[in-house]
Amino acid sequence: MAPLAGFVLALSSVRTRRSSANLAMFASVVMLLTTVLVGWGLAKKSTPFQASYQYINLPVAFSGPANFQGFGIDIVLRADHLNVAALIVIELCAIAAIGWHQVMGRSEPGAARFYALVSGLLFAFAGVLVSWDLAELFTFWGMGGAVTYLLLAHRWGSDEAARRARVALALPFITDLSLLCGIAWLYARYGTNSLDALVPILHTNPGWTIRSLVVAAVLLTIGVGGRLALWPLQSWITRTATTAPPAASAMAQATWSVVGIVVLLRLMPVVFASNAQTLKVLVYGFAISAVVAGLLAVIAGEPRRAVALLGSSISAVGGAVVIHGYQSSTYTFAIAGVACMLAAAPARAAMFLAVSTISSAMRTDELSEMGDAWGRMRTSSVTLAGSGLVLALSALGALAFAVTTRSYLGVALGEAVLLVAVGAVRVFMGTSTGALRRRRAFEPDRVREASSGALGWPYLLVVAGAGLLVASLIRGWLDFIDIHKHSSPAVSTFLLWLAVALVGIAAAGFAFARNKDGALRASALAGSWLEARAADSAAVAERFAVGPATDLTRRIDVWLAAGEGAIGRFADAAGRLATAGSRAPAVPVIIVLTVVLALVVALLAPGVLR
Amino acid sequence: MILLQHIALASPSPTPASVPGANIFTSPLLMSLTIWLPVAVSLFVAAMPNPRGRYDQLMKQIAFFTNLGLVFVLFVAYNQFQAFLPTMQYEEKVPWLQAIGVTYHLGVDGPGMVMLMLSGLVGIASVLASLGIRERVRSYVCLLLLVQASVNGAIVARDMFVLILFWSATAVPLALLILGWGGPRRGSATWRLLGYWGLGTAALVVGTMALYAATGGSSFDMDVLLKASLTPRIQLAVGLVMIVAGATRLPLFPLHGWVRDVLSEAPPGVAVVVAGATTRLGAFLLLRTLIGALPAAAHLLSPLLAALAALTVIYAGLAAIRTVDVRHAGAYLAMIPGGVTVLGLAALSPLGIAGSVLSLFAGGVAAALVVGACATLAERAQSRSLLVLGGLAPRMPSLSWLLIIASLAVLGVPILATFPAELMTFFGAFKNQPIGAFAVAVGLALAAVAFALLLRRVLFGAPNPDAPGVSDASLGESWYLGLLAGALIWVGVFPGGPKIPGTDTPVFDPGLVNVMAAGISDMASPYVGPTPPAGQ
Repeated sequence: MAPLAGFVLALSSVRTRRSSANLAMFASVVMLLTTVLVGWGLAKKSTPFQASYQYINLPVAFSGPANFQGFGIDIVLRADHLNVAALIVIELCAIAAIGWHQVMGRSEPGAARFYALVSGLLFAFAGVLVSWDLAELFTFWGMGGAVTYLLLAHRWGSDEAARRARVALALPFITDLSLLCGIAWLYARYGTNSLDALVPILHTNPGWTIRSLVVAAVLLTIGVGGRLALWPLQSWITRTATTAPPAASAMAQATWSVVGIVVLLRLMPVVFASNAQTLKVLVYGFAISAVVAGLLAVIAGEPRRAVALLGSSISAVGGAVVIHGYQSSTYTFAIAGVACMLAAAPARAAMFLAVSTISSAMRTDELSEMGDAWGRMRTSSVTLAGSGLVLALSALGALAFAVTTRSYLGVALGEAVLLVAVGAVRVFMGTSTGALRRRRAFEPDRVREASSGALGWPYLLVVAGAGLLVASLIRGWLDFIDIHKHSSPAVSTFLLWLAVALVGIAAAGFAFARNKDGALRASALAGSWLEARAADSAAVAERFAVGPATDLTRRIDVWLAAGEGAIGRFADAAGRLATAGSRAPAVPVIIVLTVVLALVVALLAPGVLR
Repeated sequence: MILLQHIALASPSPTPASVPGANIFTSPLLMSLTIWLPVAVSLFVAAMPNPRGRYDQLMKQIAFFTNLGLVFVLFVAYNQFQAFLPTMQYEEKVPWLQAIGVTYHLGVDGPGMVMLMLSGLVGIASVLASLGIRERVRSYVCLLLLVQASVNGAIVARDMFVLILFWSATAVPLALLILGWGGPRRGSATWRLLGYWGLGTAALVVGTMALYAATGGSSFDMDVLLKASLTPRIQLAVGLVMIVAGATRLPLFPLHGWVRDVLSEAPPGVAVVVAGATTRLGAFLLLRTLIGALPAAAHLLSPLLAALAALTVIYAGLAAIRTVDVRHAGAYLAMIPGGVTVLGLAALSPLGIAGSVLSLFAGGVAAALVVGACATLAERAQSRSLLVLGGLAPRMPSLSWLLIIASLAVLGVPILATFPAELMTFFGAFKNQPIGAFAVAVGLALAAVAFALLLRRVLFGAPNPDAPGVSDASLGESWYLGLLAGALIWVGVFPGGPKIPGTDTPVFDPGLVNVMAAGISDMASPYVGPTPPAGQ
């Protein structure tokens, strides 16, 4: 309720920048303290706390199957260890983003709007995490989606921001619709929205079919995948990375990844109930997504876009681990994927904020134009290095616990981790090493570190991320958030996966240390080639799909107008004829008509035509 | 004397005392009041002396307070309405043309009550939206009140003859309003409205006469016509013409030819009434006649309904993407809630039907809001062209927020009333009409793209230096749009009404979903809940 109260107060009464920021920060801190208190209360308990309130309860039929006679949405609030941990991570990210924005976002327009929306976002996420009713979950999910769009489109006066924010409404809305369709599909077959009631009857309810479960599994996964920003559904965060307020973008990326992975884990019993082929396809889909996003991050020219893609790649790795955990006979290690995301979320927020600080100081979004942040902006550079390292290693525990190295999946996810490590080091080396060159209207000597008030927040996130990274390697942490016992993998497994990341770090470090400009040129070349292909694809889609589809409506309008015109002309002609008919002498007309009719009848009568 | 006789013959309301405030206000003429009060006030305004327009403001105030009073009466009626009861309430029945079996029979069930609330709300919004009218105010106010009376009449009519009268009567004052106060292409818009609605009325007359003949030609009462057991062939024929009648009014693709011109040429107050209330009569007619009375035809024609719903939503989304006129975009996007409503009807499941009834209200308000916001924005920005407009958000923040809320409402975003309606519709539709439901979802995705383009072109981005000067919404405009947005948020947050904590007792509002539930089970009785097919 704290963020909701903050949201309402900020919308209704607070107008100044400072007061709205303080209110949002206060609401977030109260929420964090309350969550910690709940976590403390639940720490020793293995059963979750659950309370439910009626939202809609509507009798709709008095006959037919009992589960379809009424329709209800209950506000089910369920707090367990995982929810509490996820909520704390989200709150930390939000608090850091608010704190950073208070200093670095002073020139942003609409402060009250921004902070009110942040409170609204926190409220929605808290709602999603504690929801145990699918309709309720979607309610908060949709609310979060709407608020996210408004946050990403926050810079109302900027043309570029407005243009790029279009995708932040349209694309996630499509995937959200997929989630809604999946939930509706399940309800239409099982007549319940409660996960507690649904999971036990997935294979026992009369009329259940594998096909319907496969459809539901795919729809639900696409819905969650959209908000996890998995490739190819990532453009709502990558396209807005440079045009949205950095705090908004960092928060959207980090918090949605946590919410998405928790919801994916919660929906996994439904996905698992479909069939082995579906699980296999989904796992490999996630793995491909992880590799492609990693590759795109390595060739991205804008550092913030690269960070968004690195996060997308890690989200895909986490998602793949969650699904793979259910693929095996005992799905105890699915939680390792969530632990990976809990560690990665603060790191990607920190990395985004740090790189935004550097971009802002160097007044460019091009990696090739940056450099020497290590000398000029030491704290930001160290934060960037730390967050990059945490991000590169965040999947370490998940892979060690859940994935065998001698499988195709292991190879694919290992490759993704390698690419993430390369990408993270590339961003760090690109911004922090080499010379910062003079450009038109830009004097390198004026570049200096951001105000001290903004530096601590990303650093705090790096520390939190590092702590969660270490925790993700410890069996006890998985036991705690999952309330199940797990066995530890061998130390050599950890070392093997660590080696993969270290190889990436070393390779990128070596390449940039030897020839930074050459490395950036190579990636820029690949990036420009890819952009050209993407532009070609967009043009083809515009020419053969979008254009004809929208032109169809024009044709329909023309066709309708022509039809109306024809009817109008017919009516006009009929009216003229009637008018003329009324003026004509009646007797001759009747005689003529009689003769014509007689002729017609005579000609058509049997025998005449033959 | 006639009035006394009328009072003596009218049946009193069966309203119970189950909610706080029950029986504070009872009247056997409640439904007649909703029809004839606006007519009486309209006549009074028509007869008022108004030298050189001295009382123009007073006339607007009279219209506003008439509507406010009507909404108060309706709100009391709404609170006294017995939820979950499957029979008509507030019934009035007086013999009229006995030779042909016509009775002056009025009454409402849950969906009717919801429609009345919608009509009352939209009525107030339309008067507030019309505060800027300066020319021939007397005529304008009179016609606006007549529109509201005829819409209320069509909602509460329980006799098909009476329904046809009110249904067709709606078109006349609306056509005059558009012709008299509309934009530059008002002539074309008026003729299109009359043409399409005339076709719909003709279809309704044909369908009614077919029912009348099939039931022995003794009565036009809905209790007789709509409860008779007819052969599937007759049901199919009547069902088809009823779909034509409903589709011209709602409108559904391909009978939507009037919607763009009418909603973009009509003055904002009239556009709000058309989008919010009169068009919902189309879906209401389908619910009453096809779904509620012709089960065999409904089963046969439900794929057609689902296809029309999907085509409507997809077409509206694509057309809104293509257009470069902000009022045209609003007009197209206002078609979308109608498609969602019809999808719920096509589902032929109790939940789908309940969703479509909620969608009647929520979709009506959302359509009125989007059309009103686009119309007001175009007036305030002094341009309708999306090529000229741009960067308006910082300069008209109130209107921008209201347009954003309208966009989210049409898309069915949570905390807005369209969300539970959409949720129930989709939940109900995915069993019987999965392809239609997926297609409507695709249409909604296209609508999201259209909204993204619209908001980017109009509100966000750098302002166009060559565009005319702009100003934010006036107080009246903010109020009418705020009223509609507030209703959407209220029902979205409290669809079941706010309750006294720890009890099921409503604070002061029994909740829209509870009220609309009265009568739904009766209408949905031929369509039992979806029974899963035999196991694999």
